[in-house]
Amino acid sequence: MIQHPTETGFERAAHPDETAEIELSDADILEAMREIPGYLDITTGDFRALYHLAYRHALDRLFQGLTARRLMRDGIIALRPEMRLADAIALFTGQGLKALPVVAPDSRLVGILTVTDVLRAFGVSDVLELIEQQLTASRVLGAAPCDQAVARLMTTPVVSVPPDAGFRPILAAFNRHPGRAMPVATVTGELLGLLLRKDFMTACHLEGPG
Amino acid sequence: MMQDYFKKMRGTAQSAPPRVSHAEVIWSWIGAFLGIAAVAWLSHLLFTGTDLTLTIGSLGASAVLVYGAVRSPLAQPRNLIGGHVVSALVGVTAWQWLGGDPWLAQSVAVATAIALMHLTRTLHPPGGATALIAVIGSEEVHALGYLFVLIPATLGPLVLLLVALIVNNIPANRRYPEVWL
Repeated sequence: MIQHPTETGFERAAHPDETAEIELSDADILEAMREIPGYLDITTGDFRALYHLAYRHALDRLFQGLTARRLMRDGIIALRPEMRLADAIALFTGQGLKALPVVAPDSRLVGILTVTDVLRAFGVSDVLELIEQQLTASRVLGAAPCDQAVARLMTTPVVSVPPDAGFRPILAAFNRHPGRAMPVATVTGELLGLLLRKDFMTACHLEGPG
Repeated sequence: MMQDYFKKMRGTAQSAPPRVSHAEVIWSWIGAFLGIAAVAWLSHLLFTGTDLTLTIGSLGASAVLVYGAVRSPLAQPRNLIGGHVVSALVGVTAWQWLGGDPWLAQSVAVATAIALMHLTRTLHPPGGATALIAVIGSEEVHALGYLFVLIPATLGPLVLLLVALIVNNIPANRRYPEVWL
C-alpha cells in the first residue's frame, strides 16, 4: 500500500531527475575541459558520475537536519475509509487542507483523498469548471456523490515518506506525484503527520543556498 | 546478462578528451626532453664503466605522465616515486623467488606491482614496466639484486621529479604537483 522512495547509491547516478540538476552533455563537459589548460585525465562519463554524486552530497550538507518529521504537520484529523464524502469535505474545510490521508481502523495509512479526487466525484476536473457550470446553470451540482465512501474515491497506493527522510527523498517523492501534500508514515504504515509541499518549499527557501 | 556484458565493450562516453593546446604540446616536449636528458646525462656522468644505469624504459612512460598529463593523479610525486619503488621491490623479489619460471615471474611481478600500488595509493602505470624490467632485464640488472630498487628505480624518478618541479611551474597556466603525498 505504501511506497517509500528508495535509495540505491551509485545506481541512482544514472537517474538524477529527482533533483533540479542540469543534465550535462558530453559536449558541455568537453567544452569545459578545453577551457582548462593541460590534459585532464578523466572521461566525460566519470566526470558526470562524480558531478551527480558530489551534487547530492552538497545538497545533503546544505539541508542537513531538514527531515520530514520536522516539517510535517501533526495533529491533523485523518479520514477513514468508510467515511461519507460529505463528512470528508467537512474535514477538509474545517482544517483548511486540500489533501487528507486516509487511515484504516488499525491506524495504518491506506490512501490519500485530495480535492482533485472530490471534484472528480462531482464530474469536474477543477474548481473553475465547477464555478463555470454553476454560473451558466448548465448543471446543478448533484448531491449524489456525497454518500460515496472515501475508500472508493481515494488515491491508493499513496506516496509517503518516512519521518527521517531528508531533502532528497522528500524531493524525489514530491517529484513522483503532483499532489500538494504527502503523508509521513513509519515503515509499518502508521501515519505520523502530513507534509505539505508549500511547507517544504518554504523550508528549502529559508535553509537553502539561495 | 551476456548482452550487458558485450554492451560494455562499446564504450559509454561520446568522445575522448579534447586535444590540448599547442602551448601544452610544446611544454610537454620541453619537459620530457629536459627530464630524460637529465637522467641520461647523470647516468653517463655517474655510472659509465660500471654495471649501473639510470636509463630504464619505464622512465619514458613516466615522462608521458609527469610532463604530458601534469594534473593526473597518476603523475603526482607520491605515485611517481612510490610506484617505481614498490614495483621495483616486487620485480626483484619475483625474479629471485620465481626466476626459474620466467613466464610466472613476469606475470606475478606486474600483477603484484599493480595490487601493491593500489594498496599504497601509489598507482603509476610505468611502475608495471619497472617490475617487468626487473624480471626480464639483462644479466647486469639481475646481478644488482635489491640495489635495482635504489638505482635506477628511485634515483631515476627523482631526477624526473626535480625537472618536473622546475619546468612544469614555468608556464603561467601549468602547475606541479597537485598534491605531494
